[in-house]
Amino acid sequence: MVDYLLVNRIDLLHGTLDLMILQTLQWGPLHGHGIGQAIRASSRDAFQVEHGSLYPALHRLERRGWLAAEWKMSEANRRARYYRLTAKGKKQLLEEQSKWKTLVRAVAQTMKPIRE
Amino acid sequence: MWRIFGGRKREAELDEELQAHIDIDAARLEAEGLTREEAARQARYAFGSRALVAEQTRESWGARWLTGVRQDLEYAVRSARRTPAFSAAVALSLAMGIGAATVVFSVADTVYLRPLPYPAPHELMFVAMRLFHLEMVLSPDYVAWRKDHSAFRELAAMQFHGGNPATLGGKDPAEVRVTRVSYNFITALGVSPAMGRNFEPGEELPNGHKAALLTDALWRTRFRSQAAVVGQNITLDGVAYQVIGVLPRSFIMPLEVPADILTPLAIEPAISHHDRSLASWTVIGRLRPGVTQAQAFANLQLLFRASKADAPEIFRNDVSVMVEPLAERMAGNARTLLLVLAGAVGCLLLIACANVANLLLARWSARSRELAVRAAIGARRGRLVRQLLTETALYCAAGSAAGMALLAFGLRAVVYFAAGSLPRLNEVKADERVFGIALGVSLLTMLLFGVLPALRAGRVDVQTVLQRSGRPGITGGYRAARRALVAIEVALSVVLLWGAALLLETLWRIEHDRLGFEPEHVMSVSIPLPNSSAAKANRKVLTEAMLANIRRIPGVTAASWGECTPLTGGSEGATFTRSDRPLPEPWHRGDTIAGCAIGPEYFQASGVRLIRGRAFAGSDYDPPQTLAIINEALARQYFADEDPIGHQIDGHQNGGWKTIIGVAADSKNQGLNQPPAPQMFLNDMVLYPGSDMAFVVRYVGAKPLFTGAVRASLREIDPGLLARFQSLDQAIGRMSAGSRFNGVLVGSFAAMAFLMAVVGVYGVLAFAVAQRSPEIGIRMALGAGPLSMQGLVLKEGAVLVTIGIVLGSAMSLIAGRYLKTLLYDISATDLRTYMAVIFAIGIAAMIAAWIPARRAASLDPTVTLRDS
Repeated sequence: MVDYLLVNRIDLLHGTLDLMILQTLQWGPLHGHGIGQAIRASSRDAFQVEHGSLYPALHRLERRGWLAAEWKMSEANRRARYYRLTAKGKKQLLEEQSKWKTLVRAVAQTMKPIRE
Repeated sequence: MWRIFGGRKREAELDEELQAHIDIDAARLEAEGLTREEAARQARYAFGSRALVAEQTRESWGARWLTGVRQDLEYAVRSARRTPAFSAAVALSLAMGIGAATVVFSVADTVYLRPLPYPAPHELMFVAMRLFHLEMVLSPDYVAWRKDHSAFRELAAMQFHGGNPATLGGKDPAEVRVTRVSYNFITALGVSPAMGRNFEPGEELPNGHKAALLTDALWRTRFRSQAAVVGQNITLDGVAYQVIGVLPRSFIMPLEVPADILTPLAIEPAISHHDRSLASWTVIGRLRPGVTQAQAFANLQLLFRASKADAPEIFRNDVSVMVEPLAERMAGNARTLLLVLAGAVGCLLLIACANVANLLLARWSARSRELAVRAAIGARRGRLVRQLLTETALYCAAGSAAGMALLAFGLRAVVYFAAGSLPRLNEVKADERVFGIALGVSLLTMLLFGVLPALRAGRVDVQTVLQRSGRPGITGGYRAARRALVAIEVALSVVLLWGAALLLETLWRIEHDRLGFEPEHVMSVSIPLPNSSAAKANRKVLTEAMLANIRRIPGVTAASWGECTPLTGGSEGATFTRSDRPLPEPWHRGDTIAGCAIGPEYFQASGVRLIRGRAFAGSDYDPPQTLAIINEALARQYFADEDPIGHQIDGHQNGGWKTIIGVAADSKNQGLNQPPAPQMFLNDMVLYPGSDMAFVVRYVGAKPLFTGAVRASLREIDPGLLARFQSLDQAIGRMSAGSRFNGVLVGSFAAMAFLMAVVGVYGVLAFAVAQRSPEIGIRMALGAGPLSMQGLVLKEGAVLVTIGIVLGSAMSLIAGRYLKTLLYDISATDLRTYMAVIFAIGIAAMIAAWIPARRAASLDPTVTLRDS
């Protein structure tokens, strides 16, 4: 398990953002601005998602078929691109969630001895 | 490029998506109580750089639907399009280098590497005896050797200096070139007629059937490709020949001999060295399979020993035999010229590569932050190298494509300008071989300039670069490598410029050397006479009638017959003798002087000045060959401290001693790039009975009127004859064509090289100034004056240029050895030329250095320090 952590720092970061996006979208379609706000709010301002990471991630997930996008009118009466989870994306979310739990457990275990 | 259609829409959507983000944010802020303007401003500010986000998002597109090479290419095209000026500079440098190199290497390939266009070309040998600086075989020896040799399958002969002009009779007489060959000539080359038959052995006997083989080109143009022409009779100089066949279209005469028609040599089977019909021939042999050149040589030496025993008075000890592969013989003296051209174009290509490598290094060092970021987000080193190589390959492809366009044009120009200075040009064409060469040159270029920098650039140290983030300049930018490249560029352009200067000076000297006559408005008219005895006997009458007609043409101010023009020596060479010295033995090796029969008005017509004594008068021609006018060269050589007038010379020729009555100024009678040869003018109509009827005419007025009038009057006298015209201006132009070709070609290479080197110097220093602007700012803030900053940059430039010039001078010394033979009247180590070239490069390079230096001096410390 420890090996997994060392594999690639970047993968972990990417994976984290992807997971948060999928997580956010399970409550319904949202545009980019909304997703950013939601992640920020749900993490109580701990995660400030950069737009330079958010939009590439959205487009990447769309290409993978986990998200689908369509143009709809927003609450501000402006046309915006709304993303929603696809069936494939829902499956992926479950997978990612279990992966994440394993990871957190592993990290927690690794950290314990140091604290003592 | 493949994104053009889908891409537009996609870009627009991305743009709108990001704009929507900002608008929604603004609406949110407005709802929180801000004014509309303030909300919009803050939303924009909070979003950050829209272009950056768009770019990063766009990159995520590629990650999925473009993979591998395609993605790299896409990326390369995008980054090339972002900097059009840079991309154009790189592609253009490459196009010039690749185009020029391919042209020269294609010509070299044709001359040296391409096999001769005959079957089993390695078996073909040029066979000759070296006699009086000539390489030929005397006719009796050819006959004997052909009978007795053992090394050859065929031993074939061709008229020495073949390709004689002849008049092809018919309703509309035309001039064609006829070469006489032995009956087995085309068999030896491995060729058989496309139509009809080859010569038969009996046809080369002096009284044999008069047969003729037509070349494909003549058959197509003159005989309109009619098959029925085989078997018909044609007349050549009034003699009837039967067309027995047509040569294949692919047939090319060996040794650059021009020929439209082949006819058999008249070979007397019992000819001996003592016959008056002794002739010299060019001999080509085809070796028996398995026989080596050395074995053939041994065989020939054996045969030659017999020849020597037969005629010891002709073959002294310094006469020898030789066997040389025909291919080498045909490449012959083009070797030096091609070496020089290949060297020049190699320099040019290297400079282009150095320039491009330099540009790329500068660009990549400026992009080191981008590369570091890519490495940081997970791009492996091999991936980065591949990316950079793809970019290189893209430039290379663009450069090669443009180079190929230049190539087609360049090849045509070379074939046009090089006529006469290079062999086998008629075989040069843009085909798959040339394409292969271009490809090879391009790949070489890519290896030279692309791979090393890419490997270096791929080795980014993420830590260092990112720590210095925002100041890409301080990463070094491969300073040493780039300076070395510029020094090499300067060195190579010194070599090219120096070579070009020498060649152009040669051209200038050839064209402006004292000609010894006034070539303007002088025309030489020659009228080939039929070989029949009637025409020969009639010659005097014909010449006088024709001369009278020419004199009546309006505009003609002087006219004379003359076997020579101021640019030729005359029809016959004679060994110099004088009556007050003992006669040398026969066959002695005395100096040969040129002899030429001229009419009374020759000097007025040709513009050659008479320096002393008098010209021939009309009454001097009976008896002929009693008087002589000599040129200055002859006077200098044989009458150094005497007055030549009154002396008698040339005793053992026809007519006995000739008394010298005048001295004429020297003219370039051996061509432009040779000193004038000793020459004597004699009071006769013709010395060599085979000469054309020839006139030298000075006229004022339009050339077509003159030529038309001559043709009309000739038709009156004899409708079967035709007249050839050559103005001396034209002849001079043709003679300097070779030098002009050298000068123009190397000169244009040098100009390109010079430009690239100057741009290189400028580029390196401008980049250095940009990189060091923070440092310069600090220095100036600490009190350094603008002048000392300017000096700093100039010094850097001066060091580069000096190293380049020293290196270039050393290389020039080596190159000089090869250039020597192409020069006339100037030494390869001419100091003045060196100084001029060094001065020119030094000045130009310092101007190129001065522009960035001035920028360094005008930097505002407050600005540069704030920016860093």
